[in-house]
Amino acid sequence: MDKATKSASPSGAKEGDYAALRELFRPHVESFDYFLDAGLEEMLSSIRPMEIKDPNSSTILKNILHALNSFFFLFFPFAWNCFAHKGHVLPPMRDGRLGVPLYPQESKLCHLRDADPHKLVFHGEESTEMGGYFICGGMERLIRILILQKRNYPMGMVRGSFLKRGPGYTDKAVVIRCVHTDQSSVTIKLYYLQNGSARIGFWLGGREFLLPVGIVLKALIDTSDREIFTSLTCCYSDKYGRGKGVVKSLEYLVCADIDYDLPNAGKYFRSVMEGFQHYDYETVAKAVLKDYIFVHLENNHDKFNLLIFMLQKLYAIVDQTASPDNPDALQFQEALLPGHLITIFLKDRLQDWLRKSKRLIIEEATKNKSFDLNNALEVRKFLTKHTTSVGRAIESMIKIGKVNSQSGLDLPQRDGMTIHAERLNFHRYISHFRSVHRGAAFAKMRTTSVRKLLPEIEETVNFLRNLKLLAHSGIPEDLEVGYVPLSLGGAYPGLYLFTNPARFVRPVKNLFSVPGGKQSIELIGPFEQAFMEIRCPDGGDGGRKEMFPASHEEIHPTAILSVVANLTPWSDHNQSPRNMYQCQMAKQTMGFCGQALKFRTDVKAFHLQTPQTPIVRTATYNKYCMDEFPSGTNAIVAVLSYTGYDMEDAMILNKSAVDRGMFRGHIYQASYVSLFTECIDLSKKNRENVPEIFAKSVLSRDTSTAIDSDGLPRLGQTVHPNEQYYSVYNRLTGTIRPVKLKGSEPAYIDYVAVNGASSKGDFQKANIRLRRVRNPIIGDKFSSRHGQKGVCSQLWPDIDMPFSANTGMRPDLIINPHAFPSRMTIAMLLESMAAKAGSLHGKFIDATPFSSSVKKEGKHPRKPDSIVDELGPMLASYGFDYHGTEILYSGFFGTEMECAIFIGPVYYQRLRHMVSDKFQVRTTGRIDQVTRQPIGGRKHGGGIRFGEMERDALLAHGSSYLLHDRLHSCSDYHIADVCSLCGSLLTATVIRSDTQKKDKREMLGVPTVRPAKNLVCHACKTSKGMETVAMPYVFRYLAAELAAMNIKLELRLSNKSELPPSQGS
Amino acid sequence: MDPQQPEPVSYLCGDCGAENTLKPGDVIQCRECGYRILYKKRTRRIVQYEAR
Repeated sequence: MDKATKSASPSGAKEGDYAALRELFRPHVESFDYFLDAGLEEMLSSIRPMEIKDPNSSTILKNILHALNSFFFLFFPFAWNCFAHKGHVLPPMRDGRLGVPLYPQESKLCHLRDADPHKLVFHGEESTEMGGYFICGGMERLIRILILQKRNYPMGMVRGSFLKRGPGYTDKAVVIRCVHTDQSSVTIKLYYLQNGSARIGFWLGGREFLLPVGIVLKALIDTSDREIFTSLTCCYSDKYGRGKGVVKSLEYLVCADIDYDLPNAGKYFRSVMEGFQHYDYETVAKAVLKDYIFVHLENNHDKFNLLIFMLQKLYAIVDQTASPDNPDALQFQEALLPGHLITIFLKDRLQDWLRKSKRLIIEEATKNKSFDLNNALEVRKFLTKHTTSVGRAIESMIKIGKVNSQSGLDLPQRDGMTIHAERLNFHRYISHFRSVHRGAAFAKMRTTSVRKLLPEIEETVNFLRNLKLLAHSGIPEDLEVGYVPLSLGGAYPGLYLFTNPARFVRPVKNLFSVPGGKQSIELIGPFEQAFMEIRCPDGGDGGRKEMFPASHEEIHPTAILSVVANLTPWSDHNQSPRNMYQCQMAKQTMGFCGQALKFRTDVKAFHLQTPQTPIVRTATYNKYCMDEFPSGTNAIVAVLSYTGYDMEDAMILNKSAVDRGMFRGHIYQASYVSLFTECIDLSKKNRENVPEIFAKSVLSRDTSTAIDSDGLPRLGQTVHPNEQYYSVYNRLTGTIRPVKLKGSEPAYIDYVAVNGASSKGDFQKANIRLRRVRNPIIGDKFSSRHGQKGVCSQLWPDIDMPFSANTGMRPDLIINPHAFPSRMTIAMLLESMAAKAGSLHGKFIDATPFSSSVKKEGKHPRKPDSIVDELGPMLASYGFDYHGTEILYSGFFGTEMECAIFIGPVYYQRLRHMVSDKFQVRTTGRIDQVTRQPIGGRKHGGGIRFGEMERDALLAHGSSYLLHDRLHSCSDYHIADVCSLCGSLLTATVIRSDTQKKDKREMLGVPTVRPAKNLVCHACKTSKGMETVAMPYVFRYLAAELAAMNIKLELRLSNKSELPPSQGS
Repeated sequence: MDPQQPEPVSYLCGDCGAENTLKPGDVIQCRECGYRILYKKRTRRIVQYEAR
């Protein structure tokens, strides 16, 4: 922790080493750069200026925002934070999440931007730190990349919901999501009506406005019906004879709308358009056209042409000369980038702030006659009133992921925009940044379908590799040229060029462009990809005909795989679902959580103490420097049925191997203790009034506790459950409040940091990190990298393990041979052989999938086809069996096994599902106050519900004793006093005389038979009929509840058929 | 030892690494550089491990 250890540099880490890793996070980091560089300015200039009319003097205050631009940042705490922390040396995470610095890590305002590994390590970060997230409440939160409809591209859609727009609407529409230069968007829908005309629909002020297309066309430019007609029919082919109807309807469309005109339309919008209350209808209508109709275009002629094009496409779809587009295809999608989301959300919040300030100023002006709008100081006072709300809104958006806005911002969902980037292991961490969320609506749909086969986090395959952020000047290298050829009833033809940001882009080899023989890499997009001939070196021609030769080639067949999937060795030899399982499990692995662990205060961190680098690895492993965060161990795995404890995916661990450190791990749990909790707004006054500080009781001389004399725990001390580990002193009341450790297992104090950031520097904030041991025990879950998971069923003594005839080695791990036939994970067998050969040779084995298909023909003429034939000779050269088997001797009997056993090192992962975190056992414990039944929930020491179905099972078996034991004796067993005369449960009253005896009895625990008590029925005024009845306590509670509703519950205690007296009379 | 005068606890500065010894009531701040986050040092008491 001192200077010397901190400056220790990662050995030989160079700047370029982690370039590939950084590349993965580029969309996040660079979109924040966009926000800071261009987005802020763009957004500010596109906010419509507010105008305030003074009701007294009729002076008009205009352009509030432009006046403010210069000192804008002073009012804007979010941006202000960025500046305030610019000079900060230490990353805020280490400081124990104090304050809420909200700047994206590694963005341009972050002091660690472009820092080399040495600098990062010096500042207590990982040398691989990639950034792209926000630190918020001690957690790393990132903004999810969301799938959106491709911008500025008119999409033909058929949807049942369009019918609900009103009578006469059909299910066909052309939808375009127009994106303004500041990334805010307005979706425009062009509906087709049954009478052949069309309506433009867009959302404004919480409702959808539907305008006849004719008036929009005429409002946009000064045009004649003739011009509209000719432009609509210019490229329409009348080939199928069905066109006439459409042309007819075109006439109808234009003619029917003739009596509408522009000012008339403006009438409807004046109330919803903010700030246009005092203008005439025409100005309002023009503003609507500018702000809502095709916002990506400036020129009205362009808008007109686009509308004509959309109409043509709409009629083509109606006419079935073109097919509608599929909104679920990647072809018509783009990504919502984090920086863009912040830009549009900030714009919305600023507009909201302007609205609020305006209301304030107008209120003040009407109240106070002397209020002068020209007085800048006065005005500013009102403007600053709501400024914090802007910063706080952004902050809470990042914190809880909710986008609160009236307009909805044209986004598909309002919450779940941010997630916590868990550092459970590196695979999971990367996946968070690489994943593209398909939206809440899609996720909801997904839960109903088969979940098993879907990966835990959706990860788009390769497209995200190069999310381009900004178009360049001139012809950009990532220009997407989508040429949709003319087809019969296919996609609507045209030539579409895309240069906009937030597109998916991926690199492929271009086979044509350079004549020198060297191939150039081209970035292609999903739209053009659908119409391109891309060859993949997989041996086949992909069903391509001679006439259409491939113009492009995949760089490597592994391009179809995500980063995590790419790490599975020889995944092309596995059955595909097994590869999917591995991708899920890789993200649940307990890995090495990093070198900077001691500087970090993650809420929960899993840490594998003795990780190893895999002997068998893919090219991706090196590319992304996975050795920085290894997540497994090369365990010697024997495939045999040895003890019977390895059935059904159970596995046996060698106890000595575990004792030597295999799979040993820890959980680090940090808790941040702030004694400010009660004050909500942390203004200065409240801060000083907080009466609690950390302190140890002065009177207590007990030195055996973990509490040090400063009230905080001693570092390195073991704390047992229910033991006090820190104490709080209340200065007002003078009382000491010790805090006990929760849970059921001991913990070690790993780290204690105190923070004196409060004004007086008192002991009021501390960060305490606990370490809990998680050594492998029976019930822990392990898996290989091939979707072969299993649970440890025994820690078998080393002396009883089988041993090899040649080397005397005992396996670390035994799995059952039945794991293989049905699952067909051949790659695991290959890995075992390869790792054995590799460890004998002393080198790593490359296991990149599909590598055989990219091998140059004739380069290695003698090299055999099969991997086994590559590995076999390597093993044989060291005197081992060609196929990786070995002769083993039984550990019990010392006799040679009849069969040769397949044994070799396989990279095994320890999954985070550990019994210590899951077991739930209870004999007696806390009960529910009302029902006196055991409570539920592991956290509170509750039981597992013995439910109706379990009850049915016992009933079916006739096991009544067990049933009675479970549901009565071990639950709410109760002996009630019932009056047999009136049948009442509730009227028994104790006669006061023997209270002392009762206390004594209670101390002895729950008695099964109660000694007779002096009881009297309150209703009958006699103790004659008092009986004791065993019953569930809830029954008595039920009687009480019913009594509260004026219903009497009577018990008949004998088999006599006569009714109790109350019912008879 | 006098119970009224509890033993001071030493901390390491989060910035410069200097050792600071604080008594209850002291301001939490490094004496060398003024940094306000201090880490506790490992206890000097014998921490008993399970001997197995």
